[in-house]
Amino acid sequence: MEKGYLCIVLHSHLPYVRHPEYEDFLEEDWLYEAITETYIPLISVYNGLVKDGVDFRITMSITPTLCSMLADPLLQDRYVKHLESLIELSAKEVERTRWEPAFNRLALMYQAKFIETRQIFADKYHKNILTAFKEFQDMGKLEIITCNATHGFLPLMEVNPKSVQAQVHVGADNYERFFGRRPRGTWLAECGYYPGVDKYVKEAGVRYFFVDTHAILHASPRPKYGVYAPIFCRSGVAAFGRDFESSKQVWSSIEGYPGDFNYRDFYRDIGFDLDFDYIKPYIQKDGIRINTGMKYYRITGKTDQKEPYNPDWARDSAGAHAGNFVFNRVKQVEYLFDVMGKKPMIVAPYDAELYGHWWYEGPMFLDFLFRKLHYDQKTVKAITPSEYLELNPRNQVSTPSMSSWGYKGYAEHWLDGSNDWIYRHLHKASDRMTELAGTYKDAAGLQRRALNQALRELLLAQSSDWAFIMKTGTVVQYAVKRTKDHILRFTRLYDDIKADRVDEAWLADIESKDNIFPEIDYRVHT
Amino acid sequence: MKKKKTKIAKKIIKKTVKAVKKKAGAAAGRVIKKVKPAARKAKKTRAARKIAAIMTPRVEVGRDRAEESKYYPRPTPYLPPRQWEHEELPSKYGDTRIVAMTRDPHWIFAYWEVTDDRRMQVEREASASWNDLRKVLRVYDVTGKDFNGSNANRFFDIDINSEAINWYINVGEPNRSWCVDLGAITSSGKFIMIARSNIVSTPRDGASDVIDEEWMSVEEQFLKLYGLWGGFAGASPGKAQIKKIMKERLQQALASGGISSFTRPEKFRGFWMVVNTELIVYGATEPDATVTVQGRPIKLNRDGSFSLRFALPDGEQVIPVKGVSADKAEERTITPIVKKYTR
Repeated sequence: MEKGYLCIVLHSHLPYVRHPEYEDFLEEDWLYEAITETYIPLISVYNGLVKDGVDFRITMSITPTLCSMLADPLLQDRYVKHLESLIELSAKEVERTRWEPAFNRLALMYQAKFIETRQIFADKYHKNILTAFKEFQDMGKLEIITCNATHGFLPLMEVNPKSVQAQVHVGADNYERFFGRRPRGTWLAECGYYPGVDKYVKEAGVRYFFVDTHAILHASPRPKYGVYAPIFCRSGVAAFGRDFESSKQVWSSIEGYPGDFNYRDFYRDIGFDLDFDYIKPYIQKDGIRINTGMKYYRITGKTDQKEPYNPDWARDSAGAHAGNFVFNRVKQVEYLFDVMGKKPMIVAPYDAELYGHWWYEGPMFLDFLFRKLHYDQKTVKAITPSEYLELNPRNQVSTPSMSSWGYKGYAEHWLDGSNDWIYRHLHKASDRMTELAGTYKDAAGLQRRALNQALRELLLAQSSDWAFIMKTGTVVQYAVKRTKDHILRFTRLYDDIKADRVDEAWLADIESKDNIFPEIDYRVHT
Repeated sequence: MKKKKTKIAKKIIKKTVKAVKKKAGAAAGRVIKKVKPAARKAKKTRAARKIAAIMTPRVEVGRDRAEESKYYPRPTPYLPPRQWEHEELPSKYGDTRIVAMTRDPHWIFAYWEVTDDRRMQVEREASASWNDLRKVLRVYDVTGKDFNGSNANRFFDIDINSEAINWYINVGEPNRSWCVDLGAITSSGKFIMIARSNIVSTPRDGASDVIDEEWMSVEEQFLKLYGLWGGFAGASPGKAQIKKIMKERLQQALASGGISSFTRPEKFRGFWMVVNTELIVYGATEPDATVTVQGRPIKLNRDGSFSLRFALPDGEQVIPVKGVSADKAEERTITPIVKKYTR
């Protein structure tokens, strides 16, 4: 009989990036990279576990923006094109590296992987991999949860409760369109919580969400079991807190598994390493070098003299790390079971893109992890939050503390000298949306379309990703462009609706560009 | 500015290459000696042994580095700035308004806007010109109050400059509620409220003192669970330690921020250079002929030409290129031999 539970949560998210107006758009690659390196490898791991009869449980948030992109025919076709190009490149690489066996082996590995990826993506799932995730959910192995609509950071939206409400509801409604039922749980973007958010989660018919460790440890009244049991907010929604130990083992840049010297080095990519003329057809049309996904080196050490990647060694490390992870969870569960006098719930959330994209061997690690949990021990059982709540319907009532899982634990990453200028525009647009929804209660026809589009533009502007990028200083111009584009489109819609002069052609144009949430009803912002 | 940088960087490359050549020439014996132990070390690893021969020669000199040219392979993803044309967002919305936001247990942020009308009103009320008035943020602690402007627990003023449109305020106290007035103080000391913010709360930065009787636990148990946060398995830390645990823990960002282009890799400092070699083997024959290179068949272009590109490691490559006519009656083999070494 088990003494406690392990709940692995993978948060999969990408902001909505879709530019039909460009033939080739750099930021769309985020999606393609994630499909190739994270989503498809995860699907392969799940398939393998099912095939081998390994009982496993995993929880994944697939955010509404990501779902919408994965289901979008334009992006699906562009991804296939992207894959074709990778297959072509890998074939050239197999030839080019003929006299370098250590690299030749890797070129062959990539070639085989890309071909297999195309088979899985295009042939098996007909370009829509949401089908795959839904199948695992229907089998009871995977619990898919939603997120607030565009991953807006809710604590900085507190002054606009209608926007918080819209974010939460639109996210839950969107899930229903893709997965055919109401979501049981939601991931609040960046684990951003402030007391009161739970009310909207409850109203959206969702039963639980996740918060970072200190949200629970600093909850009031003091939670008896710390983060090792969920608490019920006064609204009746459950909050699950992150376990720090298991997070650190994977996440930490110092002690974390992904830094193992045998693992693949993320930054050495042939898109940057090879001769410009040779690699030109496979990077940006304007000659900007980008990651291709073909990476030949292992981390090697704290050096830039990298050595070739050796898949066998990497596999050994992944197996050893999975063993270490399970060993530590067993110890932890035994200890907590004694301290608590009940079965602890260990919640271990990670960004899904860490697995495969950043940490190339991450999916393999998960594969080993679930096999070891299944075969090697009986102390720890993998579980989903819904199953836990079924088994433990009674939990302490308490109010989590405002927090996030970002740098320093609160709102600083999204509210800083680099990005604080956006909030006066976002808040104003929210106020205006509330005004519109209050003024035009039963709009029809063109006016209704314009109101729905206004809400889409507002939600897209609210994505936490833009502020995040401005702070990290990477593709800042793009983040600024997106913030401005959506606010400007919103503002024009607001003015035109009020003046009753909506330009149908222009509206149709932005509807086709910002085409997320076709099911949206602007009255959710009332 | 950027151009200049590139020029300088190029100069440095030139100089460096010269310097390296000189050094290598002068101390060839020593260099070889140095290489040997490295090669032996590489023997430990099966793949590395083979690779020792093809390791890209690298030179590290100085601290500058060529930052611009896209033609050099670089170890870090790099994006030049891109510009898009769009209208600017309005700098003002025509509201007199101040909004407060919570940043963390100790800091709040406020932004504001004041219309010209409101300014004139304030000037009239103060009988002074806008620029002569002292502008302040009055920060009220309104914890537990239904704030009406005069029942705050306490307040403090922060002097701000006239041009400021936002401010980070160190309220210094977690678990309290705050309201911020944007105000002007007249020469006689009278406070004129220009705009009043929404109320915000700073979160707790420690465990709550409120304990639910039904879910009571001994202090020690809670501290044990809390201590796990700092990796204190088995021990229950004291209160002071708990503060420290929390602070340290929150400094570590245990979230990645998604996809590659979102974050920057750590940069290896210093000048860097990479040199690789590739070999192009090309030729032509009858379009319907069969051609093999090193025994492997290759695909001809429509006109019978072909071109192959190989990464060229140190050592000797024997590359027999064999063509056989379509009727298999004729064949020809041409064998280039290429020797490459790096010093």
